Amino acid sequence: MHDVWKVYPNGVEALRGIDLKIEQGEFVYIVGPSGSGKSTLIKLMYREEVPTHGVVLINGVNVKRVRDWKIPHVRRKIGVVFQDYKLLPNLTAYENVAFAMEAVEAPRRKIKQRVEEVLELVGLTDRMHALPSQLSGGEQQRVSIARAIVNNPTFVIADEPTGNLDPENSWDIMYLLEEINNRGTTVVMATHNKEIVNTMRQRVIAIEQGVIVRDELGGEYGYED
Amino acid sequence: MKIDTLIRHIREAYRGIRKNSWMSFAAIGAVAVTLFIFGIFLIFTFNINFLTKELDKQVAIRVTLKDGLSADEEEKLTETIQKDPLVKTAEFVPKEKGLKDLKEQWGNNNKFLDALQDEDNPLPDMILVQPKDPNKTKELADELAKNTTQIEHVDYGEGVTDRLLRLSSVMRNIVLFFSLGLALLASFLISNTIKLTIIARRREIEIMRLVGASNWFIRWPFFFEGAFIGIIGSIVPIILLITFYFLFYDIVNDGEAYGLFKIMPVDQLSIRIAISTMLIGIAIGSLGSMISVRRFLKI
Ligand SMILES: Nc1ncnc2c1ncn2[C@@H]1O[C@H](COP(=O)(O)OP(=O)(O)OP(=O)(O)O)[C@@H](O)[C@H]1O
Ligand SMILES: [Mg+2]
Repeated sequence: MHDVWKVYPNGVEALRGIDLKIEQGEFVYIVGPSGSGKSTLIKLMYREEVPTHGVVLINGVNVKRVRDWKIPHVRRKIGVVFQDYKLLPNLTAYENVAFAMEAVEAPRRKIKQRVEEVLELVGLTDRMHALPSQLSGGEQQRVSIARAIVNNPTFVIADEPTGNLDPENSWDIMYLLEEINNRGTTVVMATHNKEIVNTMRQRVIAIEQGVIVRDELGGEYGYED
Repeated sequence: MKIDTLIRHIREAYRGIRKNSWMSFAAIGAVAVTLFIFGIFLIFTFNINFLTKELDKQVAIRVTLKDGLSADEEEKLTETIQKDPLVKTAEFVPKEKGLKDLKEQWGNNNKFLDALQDEDNPLPDMILVQPKDPNKTKELADELAKNTTQIEHVDYGEGVTDRLLRLSSVMRNIVLFFSLGLALLASFLISNTIKLTIIARRREIEIMRLVGASNWFIRWPFFFEGAFIGIIGSIVPIILLITFYFLFYDIVNDGEAYGLFKIMPVDQLSIRIAISTMLIGIAIGSLGSMISVRRFLKI
């Protein structure tokens, strides 16, 4: 990202001149007070929003210039995880994950094999026929991570993935993300969780009022929540 | 599109219709009414085209000869016309035969015609010319009319066909106008049911976008849904239209009075009506889907 600005239609300047480069295989925390622009930065990464000014390159593709019909192909390289899981309530865990593969028209044979594989990775093989309402928050988040990685993205973006979880479940999710990162996938995660950032040391990017105020490898959370 | 994907889209479309069954039912009803009226318009159109073709087949150019030509001259002229590359047949009709034909056509007890004897036969000698290509009738007639020394005047079926076409085109336009209005209304109703489906599926759509489903992958089920509503809506009108036409055809063909009036046979018409009505149903449905997809489906 180079000199990226994001001004929402209502005039809020959520990002004001962000310069940022994330290498393949990195693990990055994005921290900062509420309203500082973390979610906005993440939305630019999966092209939910386009920058008002500046350039965002994802795997070398300029997301502002990319043609509408190519956007889906950009998104296939990105897995997204949210605080509220965004699972389909009337599909089982298995079906929710398979849905992501069906949507990109993967062959049926492959779907079954790959979905079982990722569900095993997130440790939900025995719960795969349960509906989201029958799963705990931590389990639901694991399903959503399974869905995010099922299409083999080059990076995974997570916006406060542990925001709704108790410490124990949060750690499970973190180990999972670390495992995914160890397999070569870039992980970018916005978080308010001080304990996690300070324990599982990684690159930390701190944003305040739309500008990067700190960017250090193995940094601390640095805020008193 | 892959077979798996196609099956999925069809299943999704079916789910959409089932889910908003009442709205779908209303939309199907609207399509049915529209298509019924459209079908009447189509029956008109098909028959007028049919009739025009039939008349064209019978079209003959009547070449009225000048008085006082010798039999020899008349025979020569007939031969010359026969040789024209545009002419299929040229038949010389002397006035005596003309009068006989007329009497036969009007019945034998027409006092006025009976009074006419060969001596005071007011009819001229004529040559009846059949063009090879009905579309070139006018061209041929104009060409023949150039021979002003022997030919009094040339006329052909223009008058009848034209008048018939003009009269029917007024009626046809009224029906067309009605059906187009209804088609818009039906499209609007379909777009409403599809809007409901889109709203009901907004989470699914959001996730499909997130995981990188192509835009058309997301849109297709809604187009199928519209098209299905169109197809289902066309079934009842097709059955009704064909049944009515069948009855109508019997009436028209029974009465001898209408003998000169030939309408399209039921089998020919049925196929045309079924295919075109269904296609129009699909078009109305797709239009409805398009309205909704453009307005409510943000990709
Ligand atoms: N869609 C939007 N339209 C208008 N303003 C927005 C929109 N989304 C965010 N904002 C504004 O942009 C600023 C940054 O918001 P953002 O959601 O990026 O913050 P955040 O760092 O993710 O906060 P939090 O930690 O609470 O999630 C805020 O002032 C917010 O009100
Ligand atoms: Mg946020």
